[in-house]
Amino acid sequence: MRSGLKSEVFEKLAVIAGSISNPEVVRWKQQGGRVIVYTCSFVPEELLVAAGLLPFRIRATGSQSAGRADDYFEAANICSLVRHCFNKILTGEYQFLDGCVIGGGCDANRHILDNWEQSEARIPFLHRIFFPHSSGNLMAQNFRNQLENLKQLLEDHFGVKITNEKLQDAIVLCNEIRDLQKSLYALRKVDNPAITAAETISVIVAGYSMPKEAYKADLTLLLEELSGVTMPEKKPVVRLMVVGPGHDEPSLCDIIETMGGAAVTDLTCYGGKTLFGSVREADPDPLQALADYQVIDRPLCPKNLDAHPIINREVMNKIKEYRVDGLIGQSYLCCETWSGELFVLQKELKEAGIPMLRIEREYTSDSLGQVQTRVQAFIETISGGLL
Amino acid sequence: MINIFSQLMMDANKSLYGLTIEPQNASKGPVVLGNGDFFIEIPVAFGCAFSDLTLTGANGTALPTAAELIDKGIETGVGSRMCNAIKVACYYLEAGLIAKPDMIITSNSCCDSMTTLGILMNGYKPWADVPKFTMDAPHSFDEESYRYFGQQLRNAVTFMETATGRKMDWDRLREVCVESNKQRQLLLEFQELKKAVPCPADPDLARQGTEYTTWTFDRVTPTVTAWLEQLVTATEQRVKEGKGIDGVNEKVRFLWQDLAGSWASGTVLARLQKELGAVCIMDYVSYATWTPIDLTSEETMFTSFGKRFLLEDAMNRQALHTADLFCNDILQIVKEFKCDAVIMPAHIGHRDTNSRLKIVRDVCRENGIPCLIIGMDIWDKRYMTPDVVFDRMKTFFEVSGLI
Ligand code: SF4
Ligand code: SF4
Repeated sequence: MRSGLKSEVFEKLAVIAGSISNPEVVRWKQQGGRVIVYTCSFVPEELLVAAGLLPFRIRATGSQSAGRADDYFEAANICSLVRHCFNKILTGEYQFLDGCVIGGGCDANRHILDNWEQSEARIPFLHRIFFPHSSGNLMAQNFRNQLENLKQLLEDHFGVKITNEKLQDAIVLCNEIRDLQKSLYALRKVDNPAITAAETISVIVAGYSMPKEAYKADLTLLLEELSGVTMPEKKPVVRLMVVGPGHDEPSLCDIIETMGGAAVTDLTCYGGKTLFGSVREADPDPLQALADYQVIDRPLCPKNLDAHPIINREVMNKIKEYRVDGLIGQSYLCCETWSGELFVLQKELKEAGIPMLRIEREYTSDSLGQVQTRVQAFIETISGGLL
Repeated sequence: MINIFSQLMMDANKSLYGLTIEPQNASKGPVVLGNGDFFIEIPVAFGCAFSDLTLTGANGTALPTAAELIDKGIETGVGSRMCNAIKVACYYLEAGLIAKPDMIITSNSCCDSMTTLGILMNGYKPWADVPKFTMDAPHSFDEESYRYFGQQLRNAVTFMETATGRKMDWDRLREVCVESNKQRQLLLEFQELKKAVPCPADPDLARQGTEYTTWTFDRVTPTVTAWLEQLVTATEQRVKEGKGIDGVNEKVRFLWQDLAGSWASGTVLARLQKELGAVCIMDYVSYATWTPIDLTSEETMFTSFGKRFLLEDAMNRQALHTADLFCNDILQIVKEFKCDAVIMPAHIGHRDTNSRLKIVRDVCRENGIPCLIIGMDIWDKRYMTPDVVFDRMKTFFEVSGLI
């Protein structure tokens, strides 16, 4: 839903988030830049930025069908996020990419690489790293080794040198962007914010789809504009938080907001999960700093068996910070680990007296018809004090 | 009259189905509960009982009340497309039917569903005070990965020592490893004998042998070693006599590239063998690639453990790694065991297999191997009934000109 926000910079970011290829990517390519696509928030963008590449987080915006990907992945048993994204690759919508790093977190995601390698869309630079399923120094060291290997491969393939200095600069840049994004999120702490949840998603998604420096400048400008907006007082009927895996399109937030609710924050792979803490700056071993951040500080993913207490703590903090009345736990059909995580979370929230609605859905927004009815009932129940 | 093979089968089955929903109660010593495989030699040497909650759930689907249990698992709401073995385990857990363990050790091995069960166990409130240890099974199989996982297993020993206040008896661990090496060697010998045409003994004995050595309360004991020795001796005799499985006129040999699950062996596979002479030569669990544990030093021992766990444990070998390894195994098995066809049951819970179907189909086509992909549920026979699976396989063998 739109807030009535009139901002050129926002419109620019919304266009970027609303399609796969976009003017910023085209310009980057025209200037001889190279783009690397990646599939999971645990692939450290900092390393790709330090290699002089444009990191582009994979998504399947606008997809209506998994089409050709269903030859590779059994439709009934594999998550639609993976299938729709892979279909975009097969059908050439990512023709601008120069390489891909698969973050092999789950069984479906990691097999994108195997299938891609066998397909006609095969490209020379295809690599996979694995996010550890447990946290600790040993695992962080293992992840660091994987990053070292990736660094070497990037250097060899793209003919670049990734120095510690470049890595430290990239870490600073990405931390700055993370801080700006946190400020953007913080705007929704008030009852009638200058930017809606759907608009926020667009701004965040754009950040994964364009050069970082340009994004930082745009986001800074947008925040300045937003700080000057005064909104009339308006209380939403309920304030909701969304938790779950990748959530890169605004339909669910639209549903919530058209029903008078407000989606005030989230803990999802494209949003709140990535706006967590900061990577250590000026570390003499920047790869270790990146590994520690992903594996020890921010293991906010149920693929990691040590993640739950941290996810739970983060959810509880956000509930307080954003005055959340209820949660929507959203996962894709066939996504095992998020199903388990939401199952445990729901029980704990129940004990804490916080209602949660669980939704299993497909990736496309046209799968939301039934969801709409359930969200409506949820909002009515909470706002009527029935939960 | 019961022949030696039937007797062996009954002995193994007795031990296998002795695993009830509370297997911990049948064991002595502190109980370690896992969400999947652990390196079994460690708890055995430590004098601990190890129980795998996924296996407990899977065993539930073999009970006469299977349908009811699966439905109860669905009602928990854990996830509609979750593997049914996990749903049943989830029901047992949520219903408070699993005795509180002394320790919990979880890892991602070998599938996302098991990871989910790990999440449920670690987040289960009544067990909040139970000491917990988590492990990362990497999706890679090289010396570095073996060392990495071996180091975690070494840390697991320290964890168990802290949790129990006991010390690991390292001599006992070596003794257990020696016994284990003996058993794995016997499994390899039986596998070698299975290559004979016709197949000299019911190949399902290989699966039972592997399960007997890994999952039952008799695991890594001389009882199992004696069982395996009898199996090998009796099979050698059959090969010498050039005899096949009793009452089977072998016409087709096929690879079943999945688990047999709780109902396929006794229904579909048994009928295929008896009625059509179609023999299931190999499945996921049977495929033995064991190498001996290197007992030279503590370091070599744990690196061997890592290798055994990541690459030689059949389930991990098939589920954790690349499509390349998976396909190479298929080609290797087809060649060495003279299989005429590959059957991909494609269990609905196996995200890994369901992500590789085209690759397998293409590899089989390129190598002229008839391949059938089914898409069934190995735990819930209501999803696709034994008769339907049988008919599909029969038709496939007919159309491929194999029968
Ligand atoms: S939604 Fe779940 S199954 Fe799909 S890619 Fe993400 S983690 Fe994997
Ligand atoms: S999906 Fe397969 S490996 Fe995982 S629990 Fe189910 S049967 Fe076992």
